[in-house]
Amino acid sequence: MVAAGKQDALLAQMRKGTLQYCVLALLVNEERYGFDLVRALAEMDGMVTSEGTIYPLLSRLRRDGLVETTWRESSSGPPRRYYRLTKTGRTALDAFRSEWGPFRDAVDHFVEREAG
Amino acid sequence: MSTTPDKLVERYLKHLEVELDDVPRDRRREIVDEIAGHIAEARAGLEHESEADVRNILEGLGDPADIAEDARERFDVQPPAQAQPFKPGWMEIAALVLLLIGGIVIPFFGWVIGVVLLWASNAWNVRDKIIGTVLVPGGLALSAFLLFYAAARSGEGTSLGTLCEADPATGQQINCHRLSTGVSSAGVDFTQVLGTLLLIGIVVVPIVTTAYLGYRLRHRPPAAMA
Repeated sequence: MVAAGKQDALLAQMRKGTLQYCVLALLVNEERYGFDLVRALAEMDGMVTSEGTIYPLLSRLRRDGLVETTWRESSSGPPRRYYRLTKTGRTALDAFRSEWGPFRDAVDHFVEREAG
Repeated sequence: MSTTPDKLVERYLKHLEVELDDVPRDRRREIVDEIAGHIAEARAGLEHESEADVRNILEGLGDPADIAEDARERFDVQPPAQAQPFKPGWMEIAALVLLLIGGIVIPFFGWVIGVVLLWASNAWNVRDKIIGTVLVPGGLALSAFLLFYAAARSGEGTSLGTLCEADPATGQQINCHRLSTGVSSAGVDFTQVLGTLLLIGIVVVPIVTTAYLGYRLRHRPPAAMA
């Protein structure tokens, strides 16, 4: 039996580890600015607990060259920083996808068996 | 627009900036700017902004401490908990004791052993080690010796000896001042005050140096770590 605190930490780590691919996936077809990304992620329950943690992630992705950014004027306020997927980012996402599918199915296979 | 929501936002961003203190500057700026932009976007989307709305936005972003922790993890910054107080071992304690009174217990050599231990330990940085060696060589043994010497040189009261100037023409010593701590019948003159201060200093400085080195054991400079 895993202690409750440890289990929470484990789930938080899983969320953190997969969050970056969700962000990359959101940028596949369009470029988005930070607030827009957060809004899209928040539509699904359980993905983001503190919205603010998206920004360190975006900064890291930019530094790793997985996304690139451009400032664009906004009609409703100050300019926005738009994030766009790079080639490297696309490659990383594809690699994750090919691993994630079988992994998710395998976990589901065992974890969901009882539930039928 | 009421000022309270602005104050809330300002306080939040300041708090965030403080929490991100150990994240590299450019990244800290980027994160704080982006979050400030996020708040501005969210507020612009409200029809009639209330204080509760702004509080909800800030709560949605999360505790600045959590964001900072996430940022440290993303950028592989060592958490501040890493700055644990250094646990002084026998070598550090022996070094401090020997530096101060080693020269009295084993004349001169006791202090030398203290210096060797001081330089062998990695608890102090080079600057501290130089301070420990130079202030004062011999530790209290030197103080004791000088006090003894001064007392022997002077009949009444303690004295640090005599300050003289040589007459350039004759080579004879002139303008002699005795460095005395005793209050002479002529009253206190400058050299007496100076002598007293020197004597106090020669006793106090080794003690202060030792206390300082002891303090540095618990509050190590970041450069000495790792």
